[in-house]
Amino acid sequence: MFATEEFIEASRKFVCVRLESCESKEHQDRIREFLNGRFENTAFCVLSPDGEKRLSGTGRSPQMGFGIRGRPVVGGPDEKENNQKAIGEMEKIAARYPAKAGVAAAVVQDFHTFKQALNVASGDQRLLVFTVAAKKDRDGLKKSMRQVANHPGALGRFHYDFADTVDAQWSKVVRGDHNKTGIFIIRSGEFGQDGQVMAELPLTSSAGVILSELAEANKDFAATEKRKVYSEHVEKGRREGVKYQDNMPWGEDRDADGKIDARRGRPGGRGRR
Amino acid sequence: MVYWGMMKRILTTVFFAIAVLSCHAQGPRPTDIGASRQATGAPGVAWYTTWDTALAEAKRSQRPIFFMAAAAQCDGISGVF
Repeated sequence: MFATEEFIEASRKFVCVRLESCESKEHQDRIREFLNGRFENTAFCVLSPDGEKRLSGTGRSPQMGFGIRGRPVVGGPDEKENNQKAIGEMEKIAARYPAKAGVAAAVVQDFHTFKQALNVASGDQRLLVFTVAAKKDRDGLKKSMRQVANHPGALGRFHYDFADTVDAQWSKVVRGDHNKTGIFIIRSGEFGQDGQVMAELPLTSSAGVILSELAEANKDFAATEKRKVYSEHVEKGRREGVKYQDNMPWGEDRDADGKIDARRGRPGGRGRR
Repeated sequence: MVYWGMMKRILTTVFFAIAVLSCHAQGPRPTDIGASRQATGAPGVAWYTTWDTALAEAKRSQRPIFFMAAAAQCDGISGVF
């Protein structure tokens, strides 16, 4: 559903946040809030702009949260109808909470770590705009980057991250970087654990210059990046021995006892999404 | 005989209840997802990836928050949603 034009259009009336389930205890605690103490890899809820009031039900998916029944086959005849119902519920909520400030000045996305940014950029198959600057310059750059991230030609096409102390070793997993600071347009690797710099710009670059470089890089990316097929990707990762170390153990706590459930005799459990 | 008939009705009810609940509003199984139908490089959802930045933007614009959580790995195989 998230990849359809109808949903993407509807999503612009919301502030969409997607937390990585196994990134931190803070993320998992928030998920437990919405799932009656359970931890599952996916969770959904619509909230008021202050984050305090629930405007939908909760569940593992928008369909569950909106109380829409059925599990339509991907690409099947019921899928569109199912999606339309969810979008219809979103439209009702959006009508009650119209935006009171323009999207052009929206806060720019950031990640907790460069490691997570690379992985998410790979998962979404988007280029990553990574800004590395002295601490004193970061707030200013986060503001000036708004002109880039919210530009109609760039909105929703890229991921953005601003380096923090925790990212000091970022260049060890990236090829093609020349300077210690700058705005780096990075193509994440197939498994999101390394990357290639496609363009590197000075921190003083104007929004116009950055947008122009992004458009060029994205054109090249689109022409050469093949969409991943979930099952094939996971199978290839297993064959190649890929291992991604998250901060929290994988798996789910469906009985809400605060511990990841054991699965098939494996202590600690290893769940799938 | 009456007992067996009652048990049969109860079991049938339980079976259908489980069947309905198990298919209630679930997303597709990971193995059914396939490839994204969106063209690479095309605009998608403008996701925030930290709660703090999302809340700051929601308070600024007064837009409601569409909250999702998902794992960007499957059994430790990264680079996939």
